[in-house]
Amino acid sequence: MFKQTRLRSVVLAATLTGLIAYCVMGGFYAREIVVEIAILAILAISLDVVAGFGGMVSLCHGAIMGIAAYAYGILTVKFGLPPLPSAVAAVAGAAVFGTVVGWITGRTSGIFFIMATLAFGQMAYTLIFKSQWLGGDDGMSGLPRFDLSWLGIKMGSSLTYGLFAIALTAAVYIAAAWVLRSAFGRTLGGIHANETRMKALGVNTILHRARAMGFSALLAGIAGIVAAQHTQFISPELLFWTISGEVLIVVILGGLGTLIGPVIGAVAFISLKHQVSGITDHWHIVVGLLLIVIVVAGGRGLYGQSEHWLAMRAGKAEDKTGDKSGDRGHA
Amino acid sequence: MDTGYWALQFLNALQFSMLLFLLSIGLTVIFGLLHFVNLAHGALYMLGAYIGVSAAASFGSYWAAFFLAPVGVTIIGAILYFTLIERLRHAGPMNQVLVTFGLIFVFLDLVRMTWGDIALGLEAPAALAGSSEFAGISYPTYRFFIIAVGAVVMAALWVGLTRTQIGAMIRAGVENGNMAAALGINVNRLFFLVFCVGCALAGLAGVIAAPVFSATTGMGISILIPTLIVVVIGGLGSLEGAIAGSLIVGFIETLGAVFLPEVAAISSYVLLAAVLILRPQGLIPARG
Amino acid sequence: MRKLLSTLAVAAVATAGIPHMAQAETKVGLLLPKSGTYAALGNEIEAGFNLALKEAGKTGDFKIVVEDTEIKPPVGLAKARKLVLEDEVDVIVGIVSSGVLGALRDFVHEAKVPLIVANAGNNAATGKSCSPYIVRVSFSNGQVNRPMAPWLMEKGIKTIYTLAPDYAAGHQMIESFTEAYTAIGGKIIGGEFTPFRKTKDFGPYLTKAKSANPDGIFVFYAGGEAISFVKQYGSFGIAKDVPLFGSGFLTSPLYVKAEGDAAVGVVASLHYVPTLDTPENKAFVAAFEGEQKRPPSEYAVQGYDAAKMLMGAIAAGAKDRESIAKALPKVKYVGPRGPMEIDPATNNVVQNIYIYETVKQGEALTQKIVGTATAVRDAPNGCSM
Repeated sequence: MFKQTRLRSVVLAATLTGLIAYCVMGGFYAREIVVEIAILAILAISLDVVAGFGGMVSLCHGAIMGIAAYAYGILTVKFGLPPLPSAVAAVAGAAVFGTVVGWITGRTSGIFFIMATLAFGQMAYTLIFKSQWLGGDDGMSGLPRFDLSWLGIKMGSSLTYGLFAIALTAAVYIAAAWVLRSAFGRTLGGIHANETRMKALGVNTILHRARAMGFSALLAGIAGIVAAQHTQFISPELLFWTISGEVLIVVILGGLGTLIGPVIGAVAFISLKHQVSGITDHWHIVVGLLLIVIVVAGGRGLYGQSEHWLAMRAGKAEDKTGDKSGDRGHA
Repeated sequence: MDTGYWALQFLNALQFSMLLFLLSIGLTVIFGLLHFVNLAHGALYMLGAYIGVSAAASFGSYWAAFFLAPVGVTIIGAILYFTLIERLRHAGPMNQVLVTFGLIFVFLDLVRMTWGDIALGLEAPAALAGSSEFAGISYPTYRFFIIAVGAVVMAALWVGLTRTQIGAMIRAGVENGNMAAALGINVNRLFFLVFCVGCALAGLAGVIAAPVFSATTGMGISILIPTLIVVVIGGLGSLEGAIAGSLIVGFIETLGAVFLPEVAAISSYVLLAAVLILRPQGLIPARG
Repeated sequence: MRKLLSTLAVAAVATAGIPHMAQAETKVGLLLPKSGTYAALGNEIEAGFNLALKEAGKTGDFKIVVEDTEIKPPVGLAKARKLVLEDEVDVIVGIVSSGVLGALRDFVHEAKVPLIVANAGNNAATGKSCSPYIVRVSFSNGQVNRPMAPWLMEKGIKTIYTLAPDYAAGHQMIESFTEAYTAIGGKIIGGEFTPFRKTKDFGPYLTKAKSANPDGIFVFYAGGEAISFVKQYGSFGIAKDVPLFGSGFLTSPLYVKAEGDAAVGVVASLHYVPTLDTPENKAFVAAFEGEQKRPPSEYAVQGYDAAKMLMGAIAAGAKDRESIAKALPKVKYVGPRGPMEIDPATNNVVQNIYIYETVKQGEALTQKIVGTATAVRDAPNGCSM
């Protein structure tokens, strides 16, 4: 069950404001980092929708992002179509891929679901990697950004693009929150909690899960467009399973099933990575240890754990007054 | 293409299957019995190869590596067990995936810091170097050795699991852990034993593979996917499943390379997806 | 009064001196992989680069900023932007992976920042995608392989089976060899591209190659894959029937030790071998071995030559991005590899390619030169600047 609690809204607003400030006041490189964070945050939100709320831990979200990026590249670079309709088509294409994968894997769960998504993601990676037409591992360059010059906006400027990416992150969060609070979202939560019961209630769980993956893929596709436009270059790396693994780590780092946690996770992960790689080449060990510590400490992630502590304190305070309406926000 | 050619390719496939078997049997029994998804298994394989390289360099003999690597990896595994694994046994698959993923990263950098970034080689022992003549074909002796080791381990595990009391207890524990405990089986000690054996096998696989594939920092991650595919296809928790899975994947990968090189790259993924969709519990799971 | 004037004079001269010193310092961005599977190559290139500066006594004239590409194109591009836009470097040196180079090309060209490529070999970078700002001192995939073709024909190797990993560099290496070989009457009787990064077991491919019965096998493999391939080739015992030839990275001095005896007798072509018997190379090898305790590889000399090229440009008077870019292609000298110059038509290096055999000397493996192709130059291949 998803609730957009006051705490979450406050944290979201604070994070976005912080990113905007960093973008405006920081130098060129700061803006690069902001876009990196935005891409990862959008991807992490999309994964949290299915993993945190639907119990479907997918290892192909990196591939979905890559598929959208390549579709955009094919339409704009190979066929010369204008950027905006190409982006829309690419995101739709990613959504279709997600729906199909979700439908095919509809009967699997747990570790099997993870492996199945891994398989599909790797298949997509291999096909794109081997394609000479798509440039293979040398990649494809020359991808255009949106042309908003008629609005007087210069997308070529790193400041503008940084703000654009932040705006998209906010939009994706709002869309995800809206869907999760709707009947669709609640059904998804029900399937996660007890699939048999939902089936008994007449819900076509396979179709529902497919649709959830489709929606999640749509959001991931948006991340793909931003990634493609940011560097204006794409390569098959995007689809490799370790990218999907990184996104999962980010979601856990922030807090699975909180929707805002993944955004915090993205900020923390990118910041940490840049700080650590400035000091040493061995940042793998830092991330590894961090992951272990987070899981051993309860697995709720940075935001999730904070939310939990606050809830416990609020719960204790209310217990004294006999009022049981604790602000928990996530069952 | 004469029979000699097919015999060689058959041997190639068999040898690859054996390597996969050594890795997957540890992983599958750990999962089947402890319900623990141990992705760090790949890292243990890598450690086996590197410890083997150092042992061979210190003692000047491959056999030193052959015996010390599994021992070394088991010790490391035991330490991991008491510090982390036992604590997370009931933490659910996702947390286990994450912790062991974290362990992969930690071990990756530890290996980089200890042994450096350049790939290290391990020489096969003189007795096993070169090729052997066998029914008219010439095949590297060391690869015959790999097949032999795999077969011996397979037989030993088979006998151990089906004919000994411990084996019976393990199989009972896999099928129904609570019932086994209720019957008085010390399930915790059993888990530790199984975990250690799994680690030893991973280390053995690493030191056996090193002369052929050399020790590299990426080897833990790159072997993980084929191993997971074997485990999922074969069915979790069963020896028969591991045997079937490793043979199937080994042969499809090898013969795929021979017949349809274009498709070879994705063949195991297609197979994985097919099994997951048609028979998600795997071919021969421990629990039907 | 006189004392005041002389003090002021001294002060004026002193202050005039300070900005002059600051201007003389050239800012270099070293963009290399420092983590991951190619970290060893990145470190080697950096070692060569620093050695050249130290040797010339010019370490103080350069301010170096090192960034890790992680062999990921988007990361490489982000770091390049940082180097150019935030650190404001005068020149970027490095790039191991052709994928990263592809990602950077447009940025470097539009930002008008000179880039000295110290490894990445994809033909397009000095072909269709060439740029007046990109100068390559390492090699191109085509350049390294073409000379093997006439050498093989001369030795009576008239049929070849090829093997390489299935990615862009693998295809380019084999294609350039094949083109040169078939043009002079050689026959390619078969070949395979092995799944990149996935293949560890070359057994099936070696078996296939042997059964095709060629006069020899020509392959391209590098790094860990090269070690595995050569060792497995050795273990199959087919060396007497099917000799192994290839692109020099197959038996690179950086890791040939791990290949062991299996590498003995393999003949390959490369733009540098540490056993080159020239005074320049002997000095270089002695200096490198003194510092790193092992012989230099082609990656080290690439870093070394990148530094020499840059110092050459600075010595000719270049001091900012535009002038460095213009001066680099004009630098000529004799280095450890032999005579070095840049072809103004492509901005790719013109250099000797050495055909060498790996031999055993006592306990160690070393390289014996069996042929030399002088001043190998690439055709423009679509480059127009």
